[in-house]
Amino acid sequence: MPPRRHFLFLLSLGLVAGIACFSSGFDPYYLDLLIMVGVNIILAVSLNLISGHTGQFSLGHAGFMAIGAYLSTLVTVFWSDSLLASANEKLAGFAASPWGQNLLFLLALLTGGLCAAFAGLVVGGPSLRLRGDYLALVTLGFGEIVRVTFQNTETFGGALGMYGLPDHTSFFWVYATVACTLFVIGNLTDSTWGRGFAATRDDEIAAASIGINPTRYKIIAFVVGAFFAGVAGALFAHFKMTIVPTGFDFTRSIEIVVMVILGGMGNTRGVILAAILLTLLPEFLRPIAQYRMVLYALLLIVLMILRPQGLFNFRFSRKKSA
Amino acid sequence: MDTTPPADPRSSAPLLELRRATVRFGGLTAVNAVDLQLFPGGLYGLIGPNGAGKSTLFNLITGLYQPTEGEVLFSGHSLRGQRPHQIARLGIARTFQNIRLFSGLSVFDNVRVACNLHRATAPWHTLLRLRAFQSDEAAITAQVDSLLTLFGLQSFRDHPATSLPYGDQRRLEIVRCLATRPQLLLLDEPAAGMNPAEKLDLIRLIREVRQRFALTILLVEHSMRVVMDVCEHIAVLDHGTKIAEGSPAQIKRNLAVAEAYLGTAAPAIPPEEKSAC
Repeated sequence: MPPRRHFLFLLSLGLVAGIACFSSGFDPYYLDLLIMVGVNIILAVSLNLISGHTGQFSLGHAGFMAIGAYLSTLVTVFWSDSLLASANEKLAGFAASPWGQNLLFLLALLTGGLCAAFAGLVVGGPSLRLRGDYLALVTLGFGEIVRVTFQNTETFGGALGMYGLPDHTSFFWVYATVACTLFVIGNLTDSTWGRGFAATRDDEIAAASIGINPTRYKIIAFVVGAFFAGVAGALFAHFKMTIVPTGFDFTRSIEIVVMVILGGMGNTRGVILAAILLTLLPEFLRPIAQYRMVLYALLLIVLMILRPQGLFNFRFSRKKSA
Repeated sequence: MDTTPPADPRSSAPLLELRRATVRFGGLTAVNAVDLQLFPGGLYGLIGPNGAGKSTLFNLITGLYQPTEGEVLFSGHSLRGQRPHQIARLGIARTFQNIRLFSGLSVFDNVRVACNLHRATAPWHTLLRLRAFQSDEAAITAQVDSLLTLFGLQSFRDHPATSLPYGDQRRLEIVRCLATRPQLLLLDEPAAGMNPAEKLDLIRLIREVRQRFALTILLVEHSMRVVMDVCEHIAVLDHGTKIAEGSPAQIKRNLAVAEAYLGTAAPAIPPEEKSAC
């Protein structure tokens, strides 16, 4: 008998597919909101693995997202175009069919994710030896380097960005990815092996003293987190059908950090709720849209004073003593 | 200087051996050419005034520091270049002077995470929740629960680790060490901050742990009561140098030890003997 988690995972995938069948009947405004909620859930949950569970304060999540967004177009735009134009008619026909298009998109998501994961490995390897503020600075720098690099690469449209990407991202793709993210990150963290992430966060020296390799755990968290950020970036790009380099700047990273802090570091359920709340909040605040970042800041300050363990964190707080 | 080597009848090969181990920080020599041999099954004590280099010696053995000169051997193999988590894997576990529990984890999880070292399945079993993972996880849970029950911590199972009373936190740290199935257990001031009754409990606990888990134990301690009562063999450090070694009775009579503690060649009774017990 497969374990309960597999059942839940398959059930949620089925549910997503079922709802997706009717999603064409949804009001497009709400459908768009739902998709953005899904993308933000993936981003927040993946950053939560890095910052919440493993305690590595990263400000470069938008950078991984950018890598996923840009490099996924290698498949859906560049490769897809060359396939469609290929002399082999069978191949071109398949590429143009819905099956072929969806298969290409799956490949694009994986490409985006794997490239971001690789970037995570390259950045994480040396910089995870740093602590706290220093790591935050390095990841901040990394995010900006990624953005500026793409902004100056003509292949990817330079400062104008990319336009007219195929509209692949659907309700199904987003929420199937959400289910995968929750399945993978949930499985990793909620286990004896996964408690090593929290042990690394709480005390690296003590963790090493019981045989946990803190560097290894940190790199795994960084790479897995970056992978899902990359996938989210790819979904985002094919949802907006445009990529604007400034969309992946520092404020984007901060938005994701805010979701994690608001939800409660290391608390997956809380982080999901916070991602939903913070995606929908600006919609309710449309009349004062330009004060959105002010509200964000105020929210954070109030939160840090009233509930330092996170708005939705009902487990024992980390700093509580007898 | 009393340098009689420990005559241990049980075994000829030492479990842990320091050969002229030296640690220098810049111009400061924290541990100076210390020779030490721990034989399997022994209960050893390491004492010395503040700043004598006791904790540095612990950090040296557990790989937080590398020897500047000399060698640390465990079961005959050099520990040079081994990182702390690798040394834990070899079978050396330690507690810390200022308790280092995982504050974000429950009592149960604090012990559970230490079971990683000897788990039967690999990370991808965890990722995919294969059937082997389920049985492995069940085995670990049973193991942790029996350890917690053994040490009377089962009632705190799901409490945050740092909410426990002080003495229980120290005990939990020892339980966490035991979950890594060590051969050598290093206790860094286990009696610090304990009242006399708690010290008695601790002495009983250390003896029981040694018996039940067939361990070799080395403890650093300021409480002479605990050291003299529990240890079979004691080494004394002062200014990084080993100034004496022998049985508790020998150490009590040793003039160099008295001098290190009291400053003059007065009656050889370390200070705490008079006051604390």
